[in-house]
Amino acid sequence: MIEVSALHKAFTQGRGRARRVVTAVDGVSWCAADACITGLLGPNGAGKTTTLRLVAGLLTPDTGQIRVDGIDVVREPQRAQARLGVLSDARGLYPRLTARENIVYYGRLQGLAADAAARRADALAAMLGMAALLDRRTEGFSQGERMKTALARALVHDPSHIILDEPTNGLDVLATRSLRETLRRLRDEQGKCIVFSSHIMQEVERLCDQVVVVAGGRTVAEGTVAELLARTGQTDFEASFVQLAFAGPVAGQAR
Amino acid sequence: MHAAWLVFRKEWTDALRDRRTLLMVLLSSVAIGPLLLVALSALVADVEAQADEREVWAVGIEQAPTLRNYIERQAWTVKPAPADHEAALRKRSFGHPVLRVPPGFERDLADGVAPTLTLVSASANPRARGSAGAVARLLQGFGQEQASLRLVLRGVSPALLQVVQIDELDLADPQVRAAQFTRMLPFFVLMAVLYGALHAALDTTAGERERGSLEPLLMTPVPRWAIVLGKWGAVASVGMAVAVLSCFSFLPGQWLLRSETLAAMFQFGWREAALFLALLLPLAAMLSALMMAVAIRCKSFKEAQANNTVVVLAVSLVPMLTLFNQSGEQPWHLWLPALAQITLMQRVLEGEALGAADLLLPLAVAALISAGCIAYVARQLRAAALR
Repeated sequence: MIEVSALHKAFTQGRGRARRVVTAVDGVSWCAADACITGLLGPNGAGKTTTLRLVAGLLTPDTGQIRVDGIDVVREPQRAQARLGVLSDARGLYPRLTARENIVYYGRLQGLAADAAARRADALAAMLGMAALLDRRTEGFSQGERMKTALARALVHDPSHIILDEPTNGLDVLATRSLRETLRRLRDEQGKCIVFSSHIMQEVERLCDQVVVVAGGRTVAEGTVAELLARTGQTDFEASFVQLAFAGPVAGQAR
Repeated sequence: MHAAWLVFRKEWTDALRDRRTLLMVLLSSVAIGPLLLVALSALVADVEAQADEREVWAVGIEQAPTLRNYIERQAWTVKPAPADHEAALRKRSFGHPVLRVPPGFERDLADGVAPTLTLVSASANPRARGSAGAVARLLQGFGQEQASLRLVLRGVSPALLQVVQIDELDLADPQVRAAQFTRMLPFFVLMAVLYGALHAALDTTAGERERGSLEPLLMTPVPRWAIVLGKWGAVASVGMAVAVLSCFSFLPGQWLLRSETLAAMFQFGWREAALFLALLLPLAAMLSALMMAVAIRCKSFKEAQANNTVVVLAVSLVPMLTLFNQSGEQPWHLWLPALAQITLMQRVLEGEALGAADLLLPLAVAALISAGCIAYVARQLRAAALR
């Protein structure tokens, strides 16, 4: 269970006269339940990546609270990080190490013993269908192969919470489909709490049990796809999203 | 600490897998000792050979039998100089000074009219210039002998003309003279260490940023200082390995010495190698930390390379201070990294003793700078991952 409430984060850009403050996240609140896939949907620059980085403990919020299973991320980042598996926007692998070495390295850093990490690597490779790749150096991997290795790396310590930042970026249809399958299995078979961000409607529509629409650094709507459609009176999810995401701030101003 | 060890092991494996870079680093660091020594010994052997050859190249010597007799009595040989020697000297294709004897030399000498001998050389021709002094001294010896003979004939003691006597005493012992030739060795060893650590330092910082693997790394529950410590340990070990290899490459390198004098003077045994390492290992650690600190602010490997040129340039220019500064070794030289190591390594080559303070001071400076740089990298790490 991940609870985010009234999160604020601003960045300072430039120095001296060119200095200006950019508010990336401005009061985002949402809750992601266990055994549930929660989609963070929003246009470019809505603050999705910043929110997820805050949850991952990579950034410290200016105000607001983040709890992972009740653990305060700001106060105990390392305890929270041990429960999180994060596939961030940056999916860099070490090109001179094999896929297995990449995965085992992260397992060891997460505190697993060498043989436990090796067993996890094999188990994850079987689940993600990448057993044949394990002993190849990651240099020259395709986008899909890279994504699978990075995902296995993020899941190596068997975290109860999985965070994915635009996981389907740069993936083809087959890779996207296999990722979707994997996420469903993780939810159904292992009861994981999965949060992923995206700006692609179909993906969210097909996969998410719950959708959080973010725009301008705020949460503008929250609910299942059906609930959001009903709320906006649309039949098309894309039209519903546009109405929510881009009319939201205007409605807020009118208030 | 366990996490730092894991990071260290991974970075070390990673660095060893980069075969092409590793090969270049090893080739340059291992080959540098023997190569330098061979080049030096060839140079010294050439100079020695010329100093040893007692030859006078002359034009018109057949008109001066007395002079010829004197020259041959001094165990020198007289050789006929080519007719176009002036042009050849200018073009540097001929490397000996030429003695020109004027016609009627013998008669003038007998009459007591001082005949003029001309010694032709060119100052832009270093080989001819080098032996011109020896030939001039030989000719002066001839003049002195003739003058003494004349005085003795007239019943005057030649000692009357010699008001003072000059004895030359060269204070430089053979090792110091050899050190003039081996002065640049410490510099090359230093540069080998610097370039050896450079690639690893950039790869673990800016390279990690460029690949996008720093952000996932920071999302593991490993403290930042442990990550930085592990990385620094791996980079420093690469630099230290290069230092060890290049120092020990001088040991077999000595067998290749062609010049016997240089071989006798260049004494580089296990003791010297150990002292070199005592100086170089802390420096390797410091330079690694410094290059990582410069690189962590850079977004790409290329940018980091450009920025680290400043470090490379500073390390290669600092030893020049001793060239510009003619007042000799100053106490503050030992406070400046790189300069301290070069100064002390030269002292080792000159066979001087090093005190504990001489070794400890640069070590303390290196430790301080390393600690500062590591703390800086640890502080910058999170900002670097996100930018």
